[in-house]
Amino acid sequence: MPTSRRSLLKTSAFGCGLAALASCERITTAVNREFLGEAVPTELHPPEGQEIDPDFHLLSRAAFGPWPGDVQRLKAMGQAAWIEEQLHPESMADTACNLRAERFESLYFSAGDAYEFRKPVLRDEITRHSLLRAIYSRRQLFEVMVEFWTDHLNIDLEKGDCIYLKPSDDREVIRAHALGNFYELIRASATSPAMLVYLDGKTNKVRKKTDDQPNENYARELMELHTMGVHGGYSQKDVREAARCLSGWTFDRNRFLAMNQSESFFKPDWHDDGKKTVLGQPIAAGGGAGDLDRLVEIVCSHPSTASFMALKLCRRFVSATPPEGLVKRVAAEFTRTRGDIKCLLRLLLSSPEFQASQGQLLKRPFKFMVSAIRALAADTQAEKSVLEPLQRMGHGLFQYPTPDGYSDDELPWMGTLMWRWNFGLALASGNQPGVRVNLWPLRKSLNAGKKTSAWFAHLIGRKPTEAEFKATTATDDPQTVGLILASPAFQRC
Amino acid sequence: MSTLTRRSLLSKLALAASPALAATQREEHTLIHVFLRGGADTLNLMVPYADDQYYRLRPSLAVKASEAIKLNDRYALHPALKPLEAAFKEGRFGAVQSVGVDNTSGSHFECQDQMEHGDSMSGTPAGGGWLGRFLRIRGSEKQSPLSAVAIGTALPESLRGAPAASVLERLDDMAIKAAQGADSAGVVKALRAMYGADVTLLGERGLETLDLFQKVGALQGTPYQVENAALYPKDSFGTGLREIARLIKARLGLQVACIDLGGWDTHFFQGNATGQQAEKIRTLAEGLAALEADLKSHRANYTIMIATEFGRRVYENASLGTDHGRGFALMALGDRVKGGHVLGSWPIQADDDGNVNTPGPGGLHLETDYRHVFAEVLRGSLGLSSAESAKLFPDITLKSVGLM
Repeated sequence: MPTSRRSLLKTSAFGCGLAALASCERITTAVNREFLGEAVPTELHPPEGQEIDPDFHLLSRAAFGPWPGDVQRLKAMGQAAWIEEQLHPESMADTACNLRAERFESLYFSAGDAYEFRKPVLRDEITRHSLLRAIYSRRQLFEVMVEFWTDHLNIDLEKGDCIYLKPSDDREVIRAHALGNFYELIRASATSPAMLVYLDGKTNKVRKKTDDQPNENYARELMELHTMGVHGGYSQKDVREAARCLSGWTFDRNRFLAMNQSESFFKPDWHDDGKKTVLGQPIAAGGGAGDLDRLVEIVCSHPSTASFMALKLCRRFVSATPPEGLVKRVAAEFTRTRGDIKCLLRLLLSSPEFQASQGQLLKRPFKFMVSAIRALAADTQAEKSVLEPLQRMGHGLFQYPTPDGYSDDELPWMGTLMWRWNFGLALASGNQPGVRVNLWPLRKSLNAGKKTSAWFAHLIGRKPTEAEFKATTATDDPQTVGLILASPAFQRC
Repeated sequence: MSTLTRRSLLSKLALAASPALAATQREEHTLIHVFLRGGADTLNLMVPYADDQYYRLRPSLAVKASEAIKLNDRYALHPALKPLEAAFKEGRFGAVQSVGVDNTSGSHFECQDQMEHGDSMSGTPAGGGWLGRFLRIRGSEKQSPLSAVAIGTALPESLRGAPAASVLERLDDMAIKAAQGADSAGVVKALRAMYGADVTLLGERGLETLDLFQKVGALQGTPYQVENAALYPKDSFGTGLREIARLIKARLGLQVACIDLGGWDTHFFQGNATGQQAEKIRTLAEGLAALEADLKSHRANYTIMIATEFGRRVYENASLGTDHGRGFALMALGDRVKGGHVLGSWPIQADDDGNVNTPGPGGLHLETDYRHVFAEVLRGSLGLSSAESAKLFPDITLKSVGLM
């Protein structure tokens, strides 16, 4: 079976090369639907209990909501096995998604070489890629964590040269370490060309015999946002000392006679090589480039980092005000495993606190949109017209200007509900440009002909209340589905 | 329960619509709060050209006295603030020097948060944003979804806790679009039923969104014509100000409008009379000047307050930028502003090097806690009473600054 799939893919890839792009996309869709598991299963049994089904719940948090059939599959294999599978994304073939998402050339170039592309192309490709992966990847938990780290180590494409440098950051920092080790993630981010530009590390220099002052921007955010948290117990002096440790790490794509202009590098004569003390720990003079490793070790090992990251993960996965006991256990796991992200997620997702937290989170617009598209098994190539509503909902990808990343709070997202409603209504009625929706196969599998309850259970994971039933019962399926997508229940997860 | 009261309130509003509008028309006043996000270097906006230290510490970033617009024997405006020079000379545009929050973290988010919440490092948080709190003190029953508007896509922290606040980019965007031929009224009715039955913040905000949509629908029929050939910058800041002007003219009860202008975090290559920061200053000045022109016959109806989370250090860093400092010059514009002055003592009394509790050496001293100024601006614009101000900023004994 896999062989035939592969050879089929080859053929279709050839076909793609020959055919015009639009028809290539049509072929991709046809192949994906017919052979690669994107089709709607012939029978669906949506959970119709009073409360949100536990498996539906897991898929709403550790994934961007269920694709039709996902709940059944999870029920068959059990939560523990599903979590393990998701924690090992390399074990899952992702061919259908790759066919859609692996066509953006600019994403494969090194930081220095991405300058060959025009800005609109770069912007377009990285954004579409992220949306497509979130919708179609079977490695859902991986993509969920990619979103998490993209916020945590936020970089705004529009600052300086970040637009040229973010694709390699996405690949070599975020995706390379999304389910890896936290220390290594931070170390990679610290010298990522995009981060060096975004938070001014590139120009952090303390030349000898000058009165150069270090640029503290990155050093501060490293402690405040990336590791310890603002009240993590560092002083202003620690920020300065950290900036001194980091001085000299830079990026210059026009570097003369460099072996590899795509990489950041250490410039010894810009480095303040004196003795430093960070968080009470001495760093001896003459450490050179090694100061960075010492610094990463010191800040990541600080107890505040374990609690800060535990709280942040619990807020993303469990609730805005997560139970203290759970946060403590995740923090202890962080310390025990020295930041093994898989271990943190395993503990979190199998905890009773997680199980009991159904419906407590507000979906941020990106998740709202992706979960709606997934639930309807819709077909999109993530063109501009699909990304535009996201913009209106206040969640344009890679556009958050400041280093704290998009918020996990509810409030900032409450002012743009109207755009969610309009997206849901348009999507269900087939009027959302750039997305093709066909409700017929779903309707058939759900046996849902005008049956509000079946649609509701499919989209929300429980049966509707009387009021919900009344409000979403409409003259036709598209309106019913649109109203469910616009309902308060679908805004939550 | 809350649903019922909300509903009855709505129907009352609907019934009383026309007389209520007539009543508010006389005394309506809007506070426009412009937030310069990122920590604006106001030393290069209100240039202390008479100070040698300023030139000594900023060999490449200082605005030359010959290029700046002299206001008096101490201060000059950045050349890009030219569009606001006349307002300063008419006494409608002024500033207070060395204003700020007592937060010493030097963090954008901490300082913005503290300022937007109207809190201090030492005090106990009073809950919600300072404008949200103010509107709530004023009484929820007097608020409509258009009492407070934030231009953009996210509600700012300052409006947290407001009885009603709306986020929008353009008025014309506000419409619920049911599928063609579908029952549009039915969709609105269904949404109202579902969000009305939801007792959380989500339900509340959903209902407010539906109300706003109805009110704005009435405005959308006619395309907006600016007055006096006002030329708004063609960016989101300019468009946002234009929408604010439109709402003010429509007299829908707008009390507070919040708009952000970002990009002030000039650690790197800040520029002086020209350059990165100068472009931001130009956008700010041209935007406000356009609003002034557009609202020329409505000048009694608005006050503009421009703040940022902190100022920047006096000396420049080695990447030709400035790092986070403390005090900044808070600016205000409007008929009720006692302008034509830069209040406060001479700015450059930099903290000494040994003091590591300030965000690095060289930030401006903090002379006036921002809450004195915020309260005074609210008093002058929206008539904050002393009883109300004690509730708004409970941890501080407020003093008069002389700006309003």
